[in-house]
Amino acid sequence: MTVVSKNGREPLVLALPKGRILSEAMPLVRGAGIEPEADFDNPKSRALRFATNHDNVSIVRVRSFDVATFVAFGAAHIGICGRDVLMEFDFPEIYAPLDLGIGACRLAVAEPSELVARDDPKTWSHIRVATKYPNITKRHFAARGVQAECIKLNGAMELAPTLGLCRRIVDLVSTGATLEANGLEVVEDIADITSLLIVNRTALKTRPAEINGWIERFREATRAAAA
Amino acid sequence: MTESAALLPSGLRDTLPPEAEHEAEVTASLLATFRQNGYRQVSPPLVEFEASLLTGAGAAMTDKTFRLVDPASQRTLAVRADMTPQISRIAATRLSRWPRPLRLSYNGTVLRVTGDQLRPDRQFRQAGLELIGSDSDAADAEAIVISAEALTALGVQGLTVDLSLPLLAPAILPALSQDGALSGELREALNRKDQASIERLTGDAAPLLTQVMATAGPAAEALDRLSALPLPDAARQVLAPAQTLLPLLMASLPDLVVTLDPVEHRGFEYHSGISFSLFARGLHGELGRGGRYWATAPGFSGETATGATLYLDMVMRALEPAAKTNRLYLPTGTSPAERRKLQSEGWWTVASLEASSNAATEAKRLGCSHVWQAGAAVSVA
Repeated sequence: MTVVSKNGREPLVLALPKGRILSEAMPLVRGAGIEPEADFDNPKSRALRFATNHDNVSIVRVRSFDVATFVAFGAAHIGICGRDVLMEFDFPEIYAPLDLGIGACRLAVAEPSELVARDDPKTWSHIRVATKYPNITKRHFAARGVQAECIKLNGAMELAPTLGLCRRIVDLVSTGATLEANGLEVVEDIADITSLLIVNRTALKTRPAEINGWIERFREATRAAAA
Repeated sequence: MTESAALLPSGLRDTLPPEAEHEAEVTASLLATFRQNGYRQVSPPLVEFEASLLTGAGAAMTDKTFRLVDPASQRTLAVRADMTPQISRIAATRLSRWPRPLRLSYNGTVLRVTGDQLRPDRQFRQAGLELIGSDSDAADAEAIVISAEALTALGVQGLTVDLSLPLLAPAILPALSQDGALSGELREALNRKDQASIERLTGDAAPLLTQVMATAGPAAEALDRLSALPLPDAARQVLAPAQTLLPLLMASLPDLVVTLDPVEHRGFEYHSGISFSLFARGLHGELGRGGRYWATAPGFSGETATGATLYLDMVMRALEPAAKTNRLYLPTGTSPAERRKLQSEGWWTVASLEASSNAATEAKRLGCSHVWQAGAAVSVA
């Protein structure tokens, strides 16, 4: 049942998110002493799984939401993903022991600037929102007694108000430039977001020394990066 | 389009041969280990009055319980989502005069409104033991040792017992606790080991709590590091039973891997002392869990208890698939005495119902491994 690598140690899979966070995460991964094979930095590579300088450690590169899924089901043992993902999905099998302080942004409600002027949020009982985060959005508005009907989009949220899909969006905002370019502005912050080191619960329970060792190395790397 | 007759509601399944046979054998083996250790078997009903199922430790299952109205009495009934509350009820009522400590074992299927992430099954079998009426640390040790022995006897490899102290965090954070329980948000953060949120929620207590969390790992080392921390007296009292328990465990099962997670709280909300989860290396998720709780029933003051519940679906996943069984095809004319003799030798026999020209072909068609020919079992593979 258990696959053992050549040096007799069980394989350890590190899941990293594609895109924006990856470039900020790699200095910490390297700082923790994990150096992927050369193919990892080759943009033309079609490989999804990469060997590292550690015999039993490999890296998979998947979408941010999928990092959490891989780790939750134990397919990967350690991963890096945004707090937004953990807030959206209740993953009881994930521990998030370390805030890496990278990928800082906020999750916010935005709407067209001309709407901001005449809108009174106190009067809402029902609103329609385009978002990648239907659960967070529903929970956020439900706490204020507002029923949020969510239209699930996977990207380009900013188009929704312009094209009349709905008037409000909930999305990650870092500089606000994309919002501004589309005539939108933030009306409310939901949460500050950074990326976290996550680990699978069973992996930590059954391989405590090894997994804790990696958490410590990432902690050191994070400290060194902040200094 | 009409649905296929084969479709079952989500989270429910048919178990077929050989898995169903294997599960029955595994269940029998677990119960045999419990019985050998003095646990008497009870068998409560599938459905009972809502109030008795959702009292005490059962309250944790409120959201996961199916309810129905009894057309006869017009009262609300509930389908058991967990068997421990039923055992508590039996101990408090029908067996109140049996001597303590009372040792009971059970097995049965439970039904839940939703499964969880790793185990989407809504119906699964539990087998467990409860040790009621003793507050001794030896009782806590016994529940763990017998569970571990029962699993090891089945061939489960790489067993890990993770101990938890659900009362430790409330004892460290008296100011943030109400009636010994932490706020939901903080409990969530602790369950996720979400350092950043814990720091935000606990203020001045954060550094100590962080040090406590960092001790999680191999139990002996974790206990040493915990006792070296400047913990309040209340927290030291929570720690004491674990310090007595660990040597007891090691004496019984020197090879058992025991870890300690001092702040794990998940699913232990109704536990009142040392709690534990059972893991097997390489298997995703828990094989079972248990620990100390207050065994009670509506209208009864209750008594202290400890116990363990094993989840058969997870136990089956931790085991090698069942060995192929030898099934022997008996052509017509095999005498009943001969059949019984072969069965007593361990064969599963399949009797021919009508004469066939080629018994070996027929045996193979029916999935038998052997055919009985001229007084010998001949392989048809």
